[in-house]
Amino acid sequence: MRLIRALLARLAGVFTKTQADDDLQAELQSHLEMETAEYLRRGMTPEAARRQALLASGGLTQAAEAVRDQRGLPWLENLATDLRYALRTLRRSPAFTGVVVLTLALGIGANTAIFSVVHGVLLKPLPNRDGDGLLYLRQSADGPGQANISFSVPEVHDLRTGVPSLAGIAEYSPWNLTLQGDNEAVRLDVGLVTGNYFDVMGLSPVLGRLTRPSDDGAGVPPVMVLTHDFWVKRFGGDRAIVGRQVKLDGQSVTVIGVLQPAPFFPDRIDALLNMVVSPHHVSAMMVQNRLHRMTEVVARLIPGATVAQARTEVAAVYARLQRDYPEAYDPASHYRIAVTPFKEALGERARLTLWLLMAAAAFVMIISAANVANLTLMRGVRREHELVVRAALGAGVARLRRLLLVENLVLTLLGAMGGVAIAVVGVRLLISLAARYSPRAGEIRLDGIVLGFTLALSVALALLLSFIASLPREGTFASWISAGVHRMSGSQRKQRLQRGLVVAQVAVSVVLLAGAGLLTRTMIRLSEVDSGLRAEEVFAMDVPLLQLSGGPSGGTDPMAWFRHIMELDVAAKEQYERMRSEIRALPGVNEAGLGSSIPLAASTLTFDVKAEGEALAPGEAVPRADVRTASPEYFRASGIPLLLGREFTSTDGAGSGLVVIVNKTFADKFFPGEDPIGKRIAWTGPLLKLSPISGDWRTIVGVTGNTRDGGLDAEPRATAFMPFTQMLSLGGALVIRADSNAPGLVAAATRIVHRIAPAAPIVKVLTVAQIKDQSVSPRRLNAELVSSFGILALIIAAVGIAGVLAFSVSARTTEIGIRMSLGADRGQVQRMILREGGVLLALGLVLGVAGAFFATGLVRGLLFGVAPRDPTTFIAVALLMLAIGIVACWIPALRASRIDPAIAMRSA
Amino acid sequence: MDVQQGTLALMILRTLEVLGPLHGYGVARRIEETSKHRLALNYGTLYPALLKLEQEGFVSTEWRQSENNRRAKYYALTAAGRKQLARETREWRQTAELIAAFLAPRPEAP
Repeated sequence: MRLIRALLARLAGVFTKTQADDDLQAELQSHLEMETAEYLRRGMTPEAARRQALLASGGLTQAAEAVRDQRGLPWLENLATDLRYALRTLRRSPAFTGVVVLTLALGIGANTAIFSVVHGVLLKPLPNRDGDGLLYLRQSADGPGQANISFSVPEVHDLRTGVPSLAGIAEYSPWNLTLQGDNEAVRLDVGLVTGNYFDVMGLSPVLGRLTRPSDDGAGVPPVMVLTHDFWVKRFGGDRAIVGRQVKLDGQSVTVIGVLQPAPFFPDRIDALLNMVVSPHHVSAMMVQNRLHRMTEVVARLIPGATVAQARTEVAAVYARLQRDYPEAYDPASHYRIAVTPFKEALGERARLTLWLLMAAAAFVMIISAANVANLTLMRGVRREHELVVRAALGAGVARLRRLLLVENLVLTLLGAMGGVAIAVVGVRLLISLAARYSPRAGEIRLDGIVLGFTLALSVALALLLSFIASLPREGTFASWISAGVHRMSGSQRKQRLQRGLVVAQVAVSVVLLAGAGLLTRTMIRLSEVDSGLRAEEVFAMDVPLLQLSGGPSGGTDPMAWFRHIMELDVAAKEQYERMRSEIRALPGVNEAGLGSSIPLAASTLTFDVKAEGEALAPGEAVPRADVRTASPEYFRASGIPLLLGREFTSTDGAGSGLVVIVNKTFADKFFPGEDPIGKRIAWTGPLLKLSPISGDWRTIVGVTGNTRDGGLDAEPRATAFMPFTQMLSLGGALVIRADSNAPGLVAAATRIVHRIAPAAPIVKVLTVAQIKDQSVSPRRLNAELVSSFGILALIIAAVGIAGVLAFSVSARTTEIGIRMSLGADRGQVQRMILREGGVLLALGLVLGVAGAFFATGLVRGLLFGVAPRDPTTFIAVALLMLAIGIVACWIPALRASRIDPAIAMRSA
Repeated sequence: MDVQQGTLALMILRTLEVLGPLHGYGVARRIEETSKHRLALNYGTLYPALLKLEQEGFVSTEWRQSENNRRAKYYALTAAGRKQLARETREWRQTAELIAAFLAPRPEAP
């Protein structure tokens, strides 16, 4: 209390200065008079008395100063003075201030924006309760599409009972349901979850309740929990939604609650339901078959347990499963299990890209800081005069240092303000980039922590800038003063520092440009990849008609469910054919085809496959192929070339012999050097039994070119097409080729689909060019961001070189004047300055190329079709830097050669 | 001899207790006399100390006429100041005793 009272009194003292000062003067004066009177009384002469009194006082000014220090908060008042002084100085050199603030704003802005993404996506704690204890379990095997094959219910059960360090294991099965609205149907991405799911995940409802263990199993009513995003997007945040009935795949489902905002993995979802909504999920096949893997697993550590502990225990259980059930784990496919903290799993796709961008931004910051440091150093030299005068007038080194610090703080904080403004705009752009990589993009904010980071960055920069400036040491003012205030050269140390900074700028720019070059080439290479089809004037519509969750509920007979699906499929096929023929009849439509999925989209179904008369080599992994279907027109409509044999015909129907068309990868793999036409293949493997697809022999009638279904950067996968009419329609998609202006036909085609199947959702309508672009555009954004950082770095570095050389020229004016008057011609002077810059440039280039050689290896994972140390890119970058660098050197060199010796020497 | 850190406040408070409200000059004179002129207070020591006591609320101030008709700023002990004086006096005595015990001549070994 006492302390606070005293502090308040002192704070008040800051503002009541004048009055208190008068008061103090009066008090001291009265003291002096009383003392003088006392000496007079003792018989001194008036002069002697006054002198004696003054002597005893110890100096009125000093006393007043001491009282003033006690009265107010001296540091605060000094700070205000320094601040006023700093603002005045900076206003007086607007060019310097402007350049510095702008440079800093760019550097700080880039870092703030990228850091906000890194923080939101990778670092921030999960919104889940105790999110650090959440684990994601992943099972994978060798082969395309096997990186995350999820788990079967028996596997989950064995893990649940065998791993003591896990407090809970929850199941989550990604699924699709069609929500029937009043006048349109919407395809939902949902998760079917066990009752313990929300408890394990540590999530709470914002409205209503969540599912719980009593919602598990068959024979309970189906219930739905909406995710926060979907609730807002679809129902406008309507609080009356809880308790409402909605139609999902023809069933009535009750909405019981709305979940807090939270990220999901592996994919974004709209809603979570209990398992009973899908009869298949509570069927014996799903619950008892060890091979039926369609369940994601999240788990929570018991308090005090470590991830390493969980890993060891999970690995032990998994090894036992592989021993006990050899049929479920083909040794040649190398089945394996991984335990990852959930937060890491959420960030895995974004991590490399984001750290790359963060590093690029940090490089820009380094370059900007180096430039500002150089400017400050030069200005410091010009200010030697001023500082010496201030020192001579009694300012201590600490006081001068503080003055510089305040000045630099003003600069960096102004830069930070500009930077935050840049970041506000930048973050909006970056969120759309991050959304491609991370389910947490919605959590990106310019929040307190990000702004704290920005502030810390600014203060650190200000400190750095204040301490590289050399100040006279205590007691050496005299030597400074005698060194003469005209000397504008700066010390050797300072010049070395400036040159070092320029070399660093060039080097860092080269590294950044090399990265930008590699990413740009990646993007170009990728867009040059032959997707395997003619993309012009083609669009595709994803129209899933089968609603898998309706029909007979659960039970023990999987065939009942299959029969139900098959019946639905017959009806669906009829609708598909009507859509196809009506769209085909539209004016401007060239061809229309049907298939299981749109071209260039990966098939979701993969089976083991065997070729007649071909035995597997011992230890060879069972070959697999993507399962797709196609109508006779599909290949022509998509522009997929037929390499051998024939297309499907209308006679390849349900009743005729089973035929199949394979792609080139398939043919090369199974029949290398042979003619595959007429050979027979069949689907096989334990998984086939879980589907209504038969394992009968099918005759190959044609071979098509490869298409890049897994993205342009993925190798084409072995694929077998079956006639649309001989197979389940699976997904169901239309491919439409137009004479011209394909997008113009979308509306008409959509109307036809809606008329024929009013309850069917159209999931997406895309031109094939758009599908293709989906794999290029994230890389393009990457390349563009890093390139803009690179160009920014290049510009700043060029300004840096030019600035330092210009400064050197102005410092050497006299010297150049003397040289010229002694006979040096303009060319010689130019060469002298160019040499000076050239050395710096060369050094920077060498260091930069060496740095890039090391650094680009780290981004290998982001490159495609170009080696991390691609010589073409490196040479191009070096040449670019060299060209810009030489131009930057030329300007001051030219100025040097125009120096008039007479003027130069006179002004010395 | 200079005033020891921390003891000046105690001396001022005690002076004001004994003599009642007093101006700065009076306080300085009194302390010098009491110390038999071994202590000399210059303004730069005295006035910041008085101001600090005022800020802490231990003394209050008032301008009035002095005995020989000059205007002077008078310092008076407040209730809080009285309590503070008692506390500091106690603490000082304890410290003094403690130090005295430490510095006492060593008793003869038995």
